[in-house]
Amino acid sequence: MLLESVEYARPDTVEQALTLLSQREGAAPLAGGQSLVNVLKHRVASVELLVDISRIDELRRIEARSDGGLEIGACVTYDELDGSDAVRASHPLLADVAGHIEDQQIRDRGTIGGNCCLSDPTNNLPPLLVALDATMNIRSRSGGVRQVAAEDFFHGYFSTAVGEGELLCSITVPPLPSPGGAGYSTVSLGADSKALARAAALVRGNGVIEDARVVLACFSAAPMRHHGMEAALRGAPATAEAVAAAAAGIGDGLDPPGDVHASTDYRRALAPVVARRAVCQAIGNGGDERG
Amino acid sequence: MTTTAPPQTETWKGQSIRRTEDRRLLQGQGEFTDDVWMHRQGYAHFVRSPLGHARIRSIDTSRAARLEGVYAILTGDEVREMCPTPFFQIAPEPGGRIAEYPLAVDKVRYHGDAVAVVLAETRELARDAAGLVDVDYEPLPAVVDTVAAADPEAPLLHEQVGSNVVWKGDFDWGDVDWALENADHVVKIDRLHFHRFSSTPLECNAAVVHWDPGTDTVKVQSNNQMPMFASMVIGPTLGVASNRLTFSSQDIGGAFGIKIGSYPQIAALALLSRKAGRPAKWTEYRTDHMLSAGHGNERVFLDTEVAVLKDGTILGFKTRAFDDAGAYLHYEPLGAVIWSQVCCGCYKLRHIHVDYTETVTNKCPTIPNRGYSRLQHLWFLERVVDVVARELGFDPVALRKQNYVQPSDYPYETPNGCVYDSGDLPRSLDMALELIDAPKWRERQRELGRGSGKRIGIGIGSTLDSGTNNFGQARIINPNLPFSGNGEAAFVKLDLYGEINVNLGTTPQGQGHETTAAQVVADVLGTSPDAVHVTAGFNQQQNTYVAFSGTYASQFAVTGLGAAQGAAERLRAEIAEVAAFALQAPIDEIEIRDGNCFVRDDPERAIPFIGVANLIYSNNAVLTPELRERISLNCRYVYTPPFQVPDPETKTGNLTLTYASQIHACVVELDEHTGEVKILDYAALDDCGTRINPQLVEGQVHGATALGIGAALYEAFEYDESGLLQQASFYDYHAITALDTPDIKVGDIESPSPFTPNGAKGMGEGGGAPLHAVCSAIQDALSPDDAIVSDSHNPWERVWRLMRSGEHGEPRGVTVASRSDAAGSDATA
Repeated sequence: MLLESVEYARPDTVEQALTLLSQREGAAPLAGGQSLVNVLKHRVASVELLVDISRIDELRRIEARSDGGLEIGACVTYDELDGSDAVRASHPLLADVAGHIEDQQIRDRGTIGGNCCLSDPTNNLPPLLVALDATMNIRSRSGGVRQVAAEDFFHGYFSTAVGEGELLCSITVPPLPSPGGAGYSTVSLGADSKALARAAALVRGNGVIEDARVVLACFSAAPMRHHGMEAALRGAPATAEAVAAAAAGIGDGLDPPGDVHASTDYRRALAPVVARRAVCQAIGNGGDERG
Repeated sequence: MTTTAPPQTETWKGQSIRRTEDRRLLQGQGEFTDDVWMHRQGYAHFVRSPLGHARIRSIDTSRAARLEGVYAILTGDEVREMCPTPFFQIAPEPGGRIAEYPLAVDKVRYHGDAVAVVLAETRELARDAAGLVDVDYEPLPAVVDTVAAADPEAPLLHEQVGSNVVWKGDFDWGDVDWALENADHVVKIDRLHFHRFSSTPLECNAAVVHWDPGTDTVKVQSNNQMPMFASMVIGPTLGVASNRLTFSSQDIGGAFGIKIGSYPQIAALALLSRKAGRPAKWTEYRTDHMLSAGHGNERVFLDTEVAVLKDGTILGFKTRAFDDAGAYLHYEPLGAVIWSQVCCGCYKLRHIHVDYTETVTNKCPTIPNRGYSRLQHLWFLERVVDVVARELGFDPVALRKQNYVQPSDYPYETPNGCVYDSGDLPRSLDMALELIDAPKWRERQRELGRGSGKRIGIGIGSTLDSGTNNFGQARIINPNLPFSGNGEAAFVKLDLYGEINVNLGTTPQGQGHETTAAQVVADVLGTSPDAVHVTAGFNQQQNTYVAFSGTYASQFAVTGLGAAQGAAERLRAEIAEVAAFALQAPIDEIEIRDGNCFVRDDPERAIPFIGVANLIYSNNAVLTPELRERISLNCRYVYTPPFQVPDPETKTGNLTLTYASQIHACVVELDEHTGEVKILDYAALDDCGTRINPQLVEGQVHGATALGIGAALYEAFEYDESGLLQQASFYDYHAITALDTPDIKVGDIESPSPFTPNGAKGMGEGGGAPLHAVCSAIQDALSPDDAIVSDSHNPWERVWRLMRSGEHGEPRGVTVASRSDAAGSDATA
């Protein structure tokens, strides 16, 4: 078969899904299938039971919270994030990033939860959610909800804080700091291809940077905050020059992988560039501009 | 479809009427090979080598064979027993000693080499079963670099050849030594590398092959684009006479030359069908396609020396070219001569010496890919011209115009005897630069200061799309090959009720042959294209073919339409004869218009086409015996271009009939921090002679432009040292999409070819102009002390490194030796 022979179930509720996932070894949740199905096609991993969670209503909701934050169901698609008035109103960057993932067909099916749980270091959403200080809400059959900071959620390729028999059900994104903003920058070869280097940033302050979160992706197995650059930004004026100074040299301490698309050296050189651009966008200075 | 009639003085030729085939293609009603279904068919899946080079110790098919629903499995050993002879080789000794069979025998020579093939009840089962074929490999060292492969110490791919060098030739025209001695400047370029990539047809290779035991014939329904070449290669290997081996196809989802190369698989499927007693259906997976369907040629140019006078006249050059054919010779080593169709490119270079070496390597076999073998050489020449301009301080626009073949020079004979038919290169360049408003960008380039983080570059790609091959050039590769000339067949018929039907010998893949053939035939028969039915696709059983039939090498507008026009003219003469008989009028007074035949000056005396058809098909007792015998209203015509046999000794002759030109101009912005290249403006100026349907020409210009930009910036097939392909899926091979393609401004000149039936020139390959233009623009954006752009593939990291090469003091890859009296000349100003 294109896929190895596999059982398939489509539960109606999270409880049913959790029951299936915990009862069977070799059961895995299927959301948009944009990565998992390819993984199965290439037979890199094998699954005995696919638990299709993509049509469970409670996983498909986007809720604007009273605090200005969002609660996003794990099976909300990229296209729904892109088109959501609530997301556009409170976190326009999240909508923009989701709206530029690959192509329309993929955006129609790929989900925020799937993007996170695959935890490919080149995926779009993990570094952004770490920067936004999101909380990942994981449920297990016992009924409990375990809340894990996005920063602690991603462990590496296919490896996250979600344990056996558990399901990532939603993601809570706190309101953006006010004053403040978020930024995101990617270098990729071609419009809809894999990222070579990426950074996301969250900045609090106006005129002076009171606090900043700077997250790099594609440099290690999971998104990583650059505490050195964050410290250098704290208290600095919100200017392109100050951001450049804080970013300078941050690649030197990194040991990114090298592959056919980008060598280790080149990725090191990209680190300060994407970090600077993300922070500049967050402080509303430079935004997407190169330079 | 409705089309309005042109005014009486106009022709359908030259009008952008809508494509006839779009209705079915856009409504999902096309018939592609995967749509073909045959009773009792099985599905085939190939077992492919996971290694670059290895000895096959053993193949165990027992686990696969035990699966319920597996019909047959074929391995290399069995294939060798079934085949009277390996595939015919174009190469003379020693390359001609290569013994290639439809499946690998004893050894695998590249990542993806087919070692076995399984036929099963379903596509999925065939794939599963293929995964259960156990092959025991003994890995061997691999060689993946063509220059290294030529080293006698390199791992040998084909032991019986005795070397990896499969063809070597010296192309020496004019007197390069004289030119280099008498030049004011000699520009030496260490190494230029044209990289390996491919086109990305939406539809991969596919075939349904039935070895019919009842009739003992082999029926091949496939998307192979040069079926008679495939037939000539595989017929002897299968031991099947060509009258028992028939090819057909309807719609083909893109081919680009790559689909010339599916014949080994088709041969394997024929044997599999014979063994299983069932039709074998195969539709290639994308990864299989990327691994094994065929890549474009990779070429390295070493130790290039260019002779330049102080006034900017480029006298000529010499270079050592190494071409990487991959593991087997599929269509190769024809590429070793095909580049010489454009040996001097757009320029009046008279002294040329190319020491050409073709090697095999542990990589996917190459196969002609859009611009085949000429684009590598044309890219090389454009790099040479840009490097000369930069090193000697010439304006690259003025230097080009000065050295271009001038409008008054046509027909222009190149140093190797090719004849450029027509054109206006200087005006084309002016028009391309106007389209991008070059002065505006020069101004913008000057304004951009240090610290802006950006650089702007303007580039030019001057190129030729040589079309309609003289297959006699194969003799320059192998003097024993009995090939020369070219040709294409067509039938035009008046059917039972007076309808017009056209059969072509071509294999259209999106070029709109049904539309343009109808335009040409409509003009001859005085009717509307709506009244002309062109049979879709290729069918050998219609007898509409010659050995060169197919769609490749930019020739349809000349050969295919030449054949359609010739057949229509024959039919017109027959119709007129029958009408003259019926109307009792002299034949020279018969006029044909709108499906009727009239007597001039007496239009009341008329007979419609249906009446003419009636007399021949079903009412012939009223005719004279002479007319009955001679007139069929079913007219075959074979168009043949006026070629002579080239001279293998001097490697000269007229190798192609037409030379369309493309001048592209491109503006890029480089990001100093990341090396990213953004195309800010792009123009393509096309001159392919008389255009039969301008919009179809424009569409092909767009396609060729996108492909070239993709190749220049995104697309590459690279192998690691052990011979593993690094980009075997779309995760790693970024085929260009609409999102990456800039707006393309298209302009045109029509310089009719004096050598073709309709003034048209073959076009569509595009000569790789975007590769030249993008590399030229990147070069223009770099600092003078940076290295030259020496690779045709410039992804961000390479550009980023180029921008740092000057300050890091890296070798620039070029040196200039000037005569003492040339110093201080204009050239160094």
